[in-house]
Amino acid sequence: MSLLQKERDVITRNEYADSFDFDEIEHFIQNAPKELFISHHFKKRNGVLVQPRGGFPTYKKMFALYDEFMKADIDVLPLTIDSNTRLNDYAMAKKMLALSEENEMDMLNGYPLVNHGYRTTRKMITHFNKPVSLRHGTPDARLLVETALASGIFEIEGGPITYMLPYSKNFPLDKAFLYWKYVDKVCAKYSTLNEPINRESFGPLTATLVPPCIVIVIQLIEMLLSIEEGVKSFSVSFSQNGSMMQDIVTSNVLKKLAREYANMFGGEDAIINLVYHQWMGAFPRNKELSDSLINTNTVIAAMVRADKIIIKTRDEAFGIPTMQCNAQSVANTKYTLRTLKGLPAIKDEAEEENLELEVRAIMDAVFNDPADTLWRKVFNTIKSGLIDVPFSPHIINHNAVITIRDDEGNIRIIDKGNLPLPERCFAYEKSKVTLPPTQTEVINKIIHDIGAML
Amino acid sequence: MMKVVTGVVGNDIHVVANRLIDISLQARGFEVFNLGVNTSLEEFIDAVVETDADILLISSLNGEAEGWCRDLQFLRSEYELKDVTFVIGGNLAVGEAKQSDIIPKYKSYGFDLVFHQIDLNTGLDEMERYMREKQ
Repeated sequence: MSLLQKERDVITRNEYADSFDFDEIEHFIQNAPKELFISHHFKKRNGVLVQPRGGFPTYKKMFALYDEFMKADIDVLPLTIDSNTRLNDYAMAKKMLALSEENEMDMLNGYPLVNHGYRTTRKMITHFNKPVSLRHGTPDARLLVETALASGIFEIEGGPITYMLPYSKNFPLDKAFLYWKYVDKVCAKYSTLNEPINRESFGPLTATLVPPCIVIVIQLIEMLLSIEEGVKSFSVSFSQNGSMMQDIVTSNVLKKLAREYANMFGGEDAIINLVYHQWMGAFPRNKELSDSLINTNTVIAAMVRADKIIIKTRDEAFGIPTMQCNAQSVANTKYTLRTLKGLPAIKDEAEEENLELEVRAIMDAVFNDPADTLWRKVFNTIKSGLIDVPFSPHIINHNAVITIRDDEGNIRIIDKGNLPLPERCFAYEKSKVTLPPTQTEVINKIIHDIGAML
Repeated sequence: MMKVVTGVVGNDIHVVANRLIDISLQARGFEVFNLGVNTSLEEFIDAVVETDADILLISSLNGEAEGWCRDLQFLRSEYELKDVTFVIGGNLAVGEAKQSDIIPKYKSYGFDLVFHQIDLNTGLDEMERYMREKQ
């Protein structure tokens, strides 16, 4: 028995999980309809796939949510996981699920997939016969992902950096790398049976003035870590950052470099997709204004030639949206995409050249680290602040980089901390902004720039 | 250079404000030891002792600071931290509360300066004035 299979046996032997029948699961995946694989849809698609977020505690309510989404002609169903499961607290998830079932009241902020188990959940997934995307935020997602794949969920979001630096203060980053290595290995293994399992990275990070070079570097790294393990379909992503031009530049550079680095790492046969997230910062408390923001985002998603858009709802400022509100948002986005024709292709050569140089410089710093494996190189690079995510709560993150918006809404780096940016790139960034005279005014501007859409 | 230990108390993950406090303090010439979000009172006190800080600046945004700070008076005397200035700021109550109720309450816990829903720079100006007068 392989070492991986031994680990899988240990991980799946859990009192809160179904007993895993791996032969049956392989048989199921081998014969699963192509419709369930988002990688299949990416291949044959014409246009942007639309996916909301959503998860309710009970099977019944989850089923009803999917019913609503189907009426809105959804492309990709979401399965958002509750926060107890994300922290591997299946005992609490079980208790809260029981309370939710008894009282018809939601005691969890998502679907506790491990507790429901794959045998039950698979019935729902195969009933709707649409691709499902797993949305969570789990540092140790080994059991969760095993359960998801066995259920027929063939897109797995997350990664060791993007599910860690924005969400956790002190979960050990080195452990996260190893836990996600397991996830990638299992996804790669199942990818040989039918259509490939798609892995997706979470580009928005803290969604708080993160400069495009950091987003792109982390997207490339998580892509390479997955490709190293044999993943054949991968989605890089980013979110609206406040300037349409910068979004387009980010998309152009990300697409170009993702292909280049994937090929460099033996991933010539891997399919790379682009996912665009609607605004991930604070939303206005006015629902009509929120609709307008969402619509603008949809236009930008089309402009950046995204393969999939992940949408928000007009209830964003108030908490978890109702299923009707969520489905309406799907319908609105689909309508905008259907009626939006004749998009011009835009380029900004100076901006793209600058961004590309920045990304290459940071990637070179990663590869030049003396450690023996890619994940250790990345770990060291984050530890020494060569990669630095603004506003990350994690203790390993340097928090030395400071960014601000220029007059066009572009995010610019005004303090590069330890980022290994070439001098001319940093000079370019600084030349774009005129800072207010006092530090107090600079900080007030940063506060204002964070809440750009309020 | 005066030393400040800062961070967000309790199960509070409001990192944006914490980071802005850090930048602002540095801009004002303080040496900053930022413990980040999700910090317990004991961790704060340990850091004050370890760094020999002049100021402990605790922030709270989700309003749960009260439950976390009641032991301050006790810890303050146990570690003989008489010369350290204790400051708390942010949103110091769950739900609505009056300044006139909140400020005396936190002062009784052992804080020298209490800022409830006060603009960041106004609070830091006040803190600097207090430190000048204290010297």
